[in-house]
Amino acid sequence: MTVSRREFLIGSAAALALGMVGSAPRAAAAGKKESVDRWVKGVCRYCGTGCGVLVGVRGDRAVAVKGDPNNHNAGLLCLKGAMLIPVIYAGDRITEPMIRRGGKGSPLTKVSWDEALDFAADAFRKALDAGGPDAVAYYGSGQAPTEESYLANKIWKAGFRTNNVDGNPRLCMASAVAGYLTTFGKDEPMGTYNDMDTATCFFIIGSNTSEAHPVLFRRIAQRKENSPDVKIIVADPRRTNTSRIADLHMSFIAGTDLALLNGMAHVIIREELDNPRFYGRYVNFVTNDGKPCAFEDYKAFLAEYTPEKVQEITGVPAADVIRAAKFFAESSSTLSLWCMGINQRTRGVWANNLIHNLHLLTGQIGRPGASPLSLTGQPNACGGVRDTGSLAHLLPAGRMVANEKHRAEMEEFWGVPKGTIQPKIGHHTVALFEAMAKGTVRAVFIHCTNPAHTLPDLNALTKGLETAFVAQTECFMDAETLKYADVVFPAAFWCETDGVCGCTERRYALTEQAIKPMGNCRPTVQILMDFAERAGVDPKLFPYRTAADIWEEWRTLSKGSPYDFYGMTRARLKRESGIKWPCPAEDHPGTNLRYVRGEDPLVPANHPDRLFFYGRPDGRANIFLRPHQPPFEPADKEYPFVLTTGRVIDHWHTATMTGKVPELQKAYPSAFVEINPDDAKKLGVSNGDRVVLETRRDKMTFPARITDTCMPGLVFCPFFDKNKLVNRLFHHAVDNTSKEPEYKICATKVYKQA
Amino acid sequence: MRSNVKRTLQVFAVLLLGVGVFFLYLDKAFPRVRCEGAHLSVPEKYADCVSCHAKSTARATQDWKESKHGAMLVKCVVCHGEPDGKGSIPFSANPDPATICARCHDPAMQRMAAKFGGSADCNTCHPRHQNPLHSDAYQHKAPSGKTSF
Ligand code: SF4
Repeated sequence: MTVSRREFLIGSAAALALGMVGSAPRAAAAGKKESVDRWVKGVCRYCGTGCGVLVGVRGDRAVAVKGDPNNHNAGLLCLKGAMLIPVIYAGDRITEPMIRRGGKGSPLTKVSWDEALDFAADAFRKALDAGGPDAVAYYGSGQAPTEESYLANKIWKAGFRTNNVDGNPRLCMASAVAGYLTTFGKDEPMGTYNDMDTATCFFIIGSNTSEAHPVLFRRIAQRKENSPDVKIIVADPRRTNTSRIADLHMSFIAGTDLALLNGMAHVIIREELDNPRFYGRYVNFVTNDGKPCAFEDYKAFLAEYTPEKVQEITGVPAADVIRAAKFFAESSSTLSLWCMGINQRTRGVWANNLIHNLHLLTGQIGRPGASPLSLTGQPNACGGVRDTGSLAHLLPAGRMVANEKHRAEMEEFWGVPKGTIQPKIGHHTVALFEAMAKGTVRAVFIHCTNPAHTLPDLNALTKGLETAFVAQTECFMDAETLKYADVVFPAAFWCETDGVCGCTERRYALTEQAIKPMGNCRPTVQILMDFAERAGVDPKLFPYRTAADIWEEWRTLSKGSPYDFYGMTRARLKRESGIKWPCPAEDHPGTNLRYVRGEDPLVPANHPDRLFFYGRPDGRANIFLRPHQPPFEPADKEYPFVLTTGRVIDHWHTATMTGKVPELQKAYPSAFVEINPDDAKKLGVSNGDRVVLETRRDKMTFPARITDTCMPGLVFCPFFDKNKLVNRLFHHAVDNTSKEPEYKICATKVYKQA
Repeated sequence: MRSNVKRTLQVFAVLLLGVGVFFLYLDKAFPRVRCEGAHLSVPEKYADCVSCHAKSTARATQDWKESKHGAMLVKCVVCHGEPDGKGSIPFSANPDPATICARCHDPAMQRMAAKFGGSADCNTCHPRHQNPLHSDAYQHKAPSGKTSF
């Protein structure tokens, strides 16, 4: 006993000493104002909101971040964006190239750049010799700057001659892309964030805007504050903080939103709130299998979706379905916002089509405040991946791999022989990792993403990473995918290099280099070019010195295309805080209302109609007759709960960045499971108890958080925690068209840990 | 018997010293706010500030919750920093507007300065935590469960 007291005293004395040492510099820091030598313009590293930031630099260090007053966020940042600095100087930054000499499972050892590049190039050459062009692949990211995605796309499709180019936007935006393409003929939204300042009704479905896009939520809330008559409808099985400003919250049973959307269309027609003048002029009606039909067919198709039937399917009271439809159609301008709740679904494209249907049926489109605006999750999924065509079925600026004319155009522009680009569509993400497991894809280059954490059904799909040769660019040592990497290239991080990002609203903004890359890090464009040359790709394909040279080429390529941003020179992007395309000339201010005569430069000034959906052959958009279909794995007797995933405001994606910020990490150090109080009572679970989630794939334990955020029958886990890879519990069924997996719904058992 | 008393006194004195040292340590290591020392030993039991401050400083917490910052989930640490001082923002119970407010409100501060000549302290006119929304937009429909507090 005496001994333990003595130990306690020694411990206390030591702690006192440590505490004093530690607190002295902190006390000094607390009193000191942040002084900076210069502010360098950029965009936030995190979400698809794409807030403008100014990075404060003192000497050769970044010391502060503040919001860019000239960008759409008008100087505001959310808590993540405001605390970006510690991420740059995180203790586990990777600053040296590393290879795994002894194969998978052996330790990573630091090597020179030459050795690392040769190591990767050798593996790729061997894979090409053994399996031909389709034995190699690139797996990219909606976080990589545009120049990097454009370059990688070109190297793989025209250099290695494979269309095995895909990336994490497949897991995120693919259904929104296919939704826009099928309805309007061209990807990307027609509206912008400006619509939030004029809309009189917001229809937010499948999006927790408050936590996933906080600065946009603030803008919506501001609108509501200024004009309390503005109506806000939130449709989400979870009652999140977003619903705090809602006039109407609809908790539907997860996976039944297609019925809800058709039910709203039913009410709109029944109450004669539709706009025949609009759809008579601008819309074609199309059956589910793509055949033309008439409005009467659509009306007959909707007949079964009465509010009462919709209540039966969705659990939303019939009166609320009617209210929502009326709010939507009666408002002077309705803005729809949606995100992963709609996209990450086996019927994600249909759900997207059904949202567009509501806008086309009511004419809530092409006016300030009236628009279907899909929110994007990553800072550059739109600009970097969708627009540059860095996916398995796409080519730059809206061209398709399967289209011979498009391939020929790209071959001519890139100066490669005719027939270089293969006509065969490459592997989409899930198929790519399956092909890696089978050994048909032998080597993959993974850039700026962490698939071992973010893929669905991880136990099945990480087999691909265990089998294939993996070259990876990564900045942080705790990324899960590093466990599988054979070679790791330390890439320059965020403001250590320059590059353009395109956010949700078609806005391209340049992040300028503020500081030198840390340690031995190099800009990714340099890494890609050095690697490709050593792997045997003709260096004439990439005659660039800097990212700016690549931008110049991509800008030229966009000229005259439906993605025209020829007017965005590097110099202009340095001067201005983001510009929205189409922007065909240097003196063009950018476009707020796409497809609108007098606004969109691609609509001829003398066009007979005010709106022109030029992506469609006849200039008309499609209203699709898409029926309700249940999710791939609804709850059943054996697995009676629905499990869903999502974000929390404090963390972003796999938390390799936000986990380095003490404030954010402490707010949410680890994942939990949200359970409705009624369910908790039945299960005998109280707050903090350890609860097992068991699905057909795997089972995991989480601490319980009892809250009525989740409706009964639904449980929610955030996916940021690397120690609790919740995606192991999910299946990997994908949408037929977009090939996007259904992260939002799987069936699970829930019970208290014994 | 006497040696027993002496020994008890010695132990008591040592204990007293130990307790003193311990509190001195807490005072130095956790300036002003001592929540870190109180309950954060198991990572999964880490709490956000609000769960304790709803009891200890109920008024300020409620004001925050009803304010724009509360509705937008601009949490305590964004302006105040971590109470253990180990965070990325220096801890301060009274954050300096010139550095902290300016990170988001720089344009508004400049507009204010141009209009009214500026003030060293934003809180003179905008009392801290008390910036409720002028309409009732945020007050009805608040979910009773906590999403992120
Ligand atoms: S809303 Fe998104 S882009 Fe804006 S500061 Fe927050 S994380 Fe960054």
